[in-house]
Amino acid sequence: MNSNTEKNNDATTCEYTENLNILRQVDFFSALPLEAAKVLAYLCHRIHFKAGDFLFKQDDEDEQAYYIISGSARLFKIIADREQVVRDYEEGEFLGRLALMGAMRRLFSLRARTDMTCLTISREKFTKALERFPDVMPKLVKVIVENVYGWEKRFMAYRAVDCSDCFKELGVSLV
Amino acid sequence: MKTEPLPVHKRTLWSWVLTTRPKLQFLLIFIILITVFTRVVPLEMQKRVVNEAIYLRKVDLLLIYCGIYLVAVISQGALKLLINYIQAMIAQRALSAMRQELYHHILTLPLDFFRKTQPGLVVSALTTELPVAGNFVGMAISVPVTNVLTLLAFAVYLFWLNPLLAAVSLSIYPMVMIILPLLQRRANQLNTRRVDATRAMAGKIGEAVTGIHEIHGNGAYRIENTKFDGMVNKLEKIRLIWTLYTQAIKTINNFFTNLSPFLVFLLGGYLAMKGQLELGAMIAFLSAQEKLYTPWKELIEMYQVYQDAFVQYNRTMEYFDREPDYALEPIDRQPYAVRGDIAVQNLSFVTEEGIHLLDDISLSIGQGQNLALVGFSGSGKSTLAQCIGQLYRYTGGHVLLDGKEVAELSKKDMTRNVGFVSQSPFIFSGTIRENLLYGCLANADAGQGGKTDRMPSLDDIIAVLQQTGIFVDVLRFGLNTVLTNDHDQELAARVLRTRESFQRSFGAELAEYVEFFDENRYLYFSSVVENLTFGTAKRDEFNSVNLPQNTYFLRFLEESRLARPLLNLGIRLAEQMVDILGNMPPDELLFEQSPIAPEELNDFRKVVERSKKAKLGQPEEADRTKLLELALRFTPGIHKTVALPKTLEALILEGRTLFRKKISADDPHAVTFFQISQYIYSQTILNNIFFGKMKIFNPSAQEKINQSIVHLLIEEDFLETIIEIGMQFEVGNKGDRLSGGQRQKLSIARALLKKPPVLILDEATSALDNNSQTRIQNLLENQWKGKSTLISVVHRLDIIKNFDQVAVMKSGKIGESGTYDELIARKGLLYELEYGKK
Repeated sequence: MNSNTEKNNDATTCEYTENLNILRQVDFFSALPLEAAKVLAYLCHRIHFKAGDFLFKQDDEDEQAYYIISGSARLFKIIADREQVVRDYEEGEFLGRLALMGAMRRLFSLRARTDMTCLTISREKFTKALERFPDVMPKLVKVIVENVYGWEKRFMAYRAVDCSDCFKELGVSLV
Repeated sequence: MKTEPLPVHKRTLWSWVLTTRPKLQFLLIFIILITVFTRVVPLEMQKRVVNEAIYLRKVDLLLIYCGIYLVAVISQGALKLLINYIQAMIAQRALSAMRQELYHHILTLPLDFFRKTQPGLVVSALTTELPVAGNFVGMAISVPVTNVLTLLAFAVYLFWLNPLLAAVSLSIYPMVMIILPLLQRRANQLNTRRVDATRAMAGKIGEAVTGIHEIHGNGAYRIENTKFDGMVNKLEKIRLIWTLYTQAIKTINNFFTNLSPFLVFLLGGYLAMKGQLELGAMIAFLSAQEKLYTPWKELIEMYQVYQDAFVQYNRTMEYFDREPDYALEPIDRQPYAVRGDIAVQNLSFVTEEGIHLLDDISLSIGQGQNLALVGFSGSGKSTLAQCIGQLYRYTGGHVLLDGKEVAELSKKDMTRNVGFVSQSPFIFSGTIRENLLYGCLANADAGQGGKTDRMPSLDDIIAVLQQTGIFVDVLRFGLNTVLTNDHDQELAARVLRTRESFQRSFGAELAEYVEFFDENRYLYFSSVVENLTFGTAKRDEFNSVNLPQNTYFLRFLEESRLARPLLNLGIRLAEQMVDILGNMPPDELLFEQSPIAPEELNDFRKVVERSKKAKLGQPEEADRTKLLELALRFTPGIHKTVALPKTLEALILEGRTLFRKKISADDPHAVTFFQISQYIYSQTILNNIFFGKMKIFNPSAQEKINQSIVHLLIEEDFLETIIEIGMQFEVGNKGDRLSGGQRQKLSIARALLKKPPVLILDEATSALDNNSQTRIQNLLENQWKGKSTLISVVHRLDIIKNFDQVAVMKSGKIGESGTYDELIARKGLLYELEYGKK
């Protein structure tokens, strides 16, 4: 909205504007009013990882969320000293919503498969920024609820039928 | 003379009068006697001038008497000044002594006193309540003595003139002395309430300031304002009525003293008519009586000051009238040096309200063993640790340290032998080093003479820094230090040598993380001004803060066609930052990536508003300077809200060459340019080693760089020096320039440096990341095992597996204890804590 008198012939858009566009497309942030989204877009960091770098490791207290701008990463869990692959995350995916809401240790490790660029935001900055927007929290909680509920619903649809052990552990949406 | 002096909170106000600088007080009385004499002399001279000089028409006598009169008046003034000065000396001495002794006393009071006391209250007691008492001590002797003597002198003079008239007119004063105390009593009651209300208000302010995060977090401005406004209004009312009473006392006093001339007129007039009193004598009488007024007024004022001081002083001392729970130092013996056997027998702790926080607890820990206290929150595990550490006075049972009852040990016995690290450790403003040595200094201080031999060596300190993991932080503080030009020549030379070996061994490897100072490239992690000048100012006017006002530099910007684009850049930056952060709290963390500091945001908001209105986009001179200053700070690698236009980038690069040419010709000694062979005084040590700046990257890259740097510094035998520099880092008010984890590591290091036989950790590692926590756990399990007895209150269960003993607490009792494996196998409380209820 800046109408500067001098013509700006440069095509360079700044990182902040790009970040803002990305955030507007992520479910977790699209609910936010523009003012709040702007602050978060400004507070984001772009981090580059080389193939093989860890984004986070199991048991780490990693207090941030990641949006993958480019590249892909593999999620795995170490069970009995062996890596058990869970799934891959690709360009355009966002993960770590819960880490923004409260402290927890990572139960998985995430490692870059290719060179990657991620947009990250830490819980500390996220919380500080949203202090000024108290009516945002309910919306975020709603997104989290939808995510958890949707997960369990899908899980029941695909897995609970053929895995009787899993069936006994159902009920995340009832926590 | 060697009787035990009364503790400060038991002393009366008068005791200060008697003990504060007694010699000076005597001198004061002596001076007062002379002063009273000089007050009577003029009266006598007055009489003699009339009776002798004028009557006998002797000019020489007139001159002599007038001369004596003048000398008396001058010396009266001079002596008055001297009296006031001595009074002030006594008052200030008394005030300082009161403050010091009370402060010393307050620091020794038990912790539960401070739980109930607002810091603001202590502050107002020491700062605003005591000065009144101090002032009183200054005047306590001089004012009454001066005025009573003066009064007596004049009264005698009056009786000598006419006994009957004197008796009648003086009869007023006893009446005043009956009525005034009645009023004063009421005023004192109000004054007591005023002191209390003022305190409550001070306490409230203190609370709001300490809890400001909570207030901001909840937007609770209205709630807090209502509370505070109510207190202020109440205070207003009390003060108003109190003032009314004190003024009434003055008025009534005035009224009665004015009555006395009335009596003289009435009775004296009657006697004069009857021919029993000469008219001249009556006039003399009146003028003498007039002189009674001033000393009397001063006495009454003194009386009021006394009452005020009395009330405030007593209120203060009553409040702090508590004894410390423990003796500070052992009497007639050296502090114990214990082995570290701890036995707790039937321990209980009941609060004043009758709540059982600890109930019948027994356990024992042998020397060098370790015990973990776990349990749900509120189960009393911290309270138990604090009772063992003598921070709380237990109400029943025993805590025995090497068989000695902890409640009967002195503070010194405890601090010598026990290291206590609390949940939220307090860090004092000062350097890291001062904070590290805090415990050691406290121990060394009182043990006279033994100051140096108890202090840890640099090697000891570095070892502890490494053990607790704060080493890396201190190293970074050291590396981020900017050396000053004048005294670090030798250091600078060593940094240069380190730079060489960095280039040799790591230059290629770390090239992608560092942006080197390359003369031919734009530096995205350096500011615009650094890109332009590519050097360090040797004279003040070329310092980057002064450049926006430096006319030479401004002319250069015009010539190189940079002025206009930079101004536009400044406007864009200001607009963006005001737009994004305009409504955010002034929090350092939120402003980390902003070229505008929190305290400047408001100014820039106004600049933006004005520049929008300005025609043709030409802001006023002052605003232009500010915007240019902002543009010059712009560092595209950090400030991402505005992109650096390619054209401007090229212009700045061109400008770099132009500037160098121009300044080398015009003023060759103004700036030194970045050169690989020279130390750069405007940059940090780290940037100097790199000859460049670090780019922002991910944590694993950070790790890599740390390792290389440490490696390099060890190779160059430079590590200790940097650590020493890092330890000079100022931690800020309450350590707020450190992170929570750094504060905890620092406080653990502080306790370990004392090498205590007993170490108590009260959730001391809760704010640490995994690695640091594991490091400290290993340290305690390996190096300290067997040397120190360890009691650790633990919140996270993953660190207790190797403890000799685990005690699980539940509602003030020990539910079960044993080793981790035993307890888990039993499937009791610990199992429940670890895996949840089954």
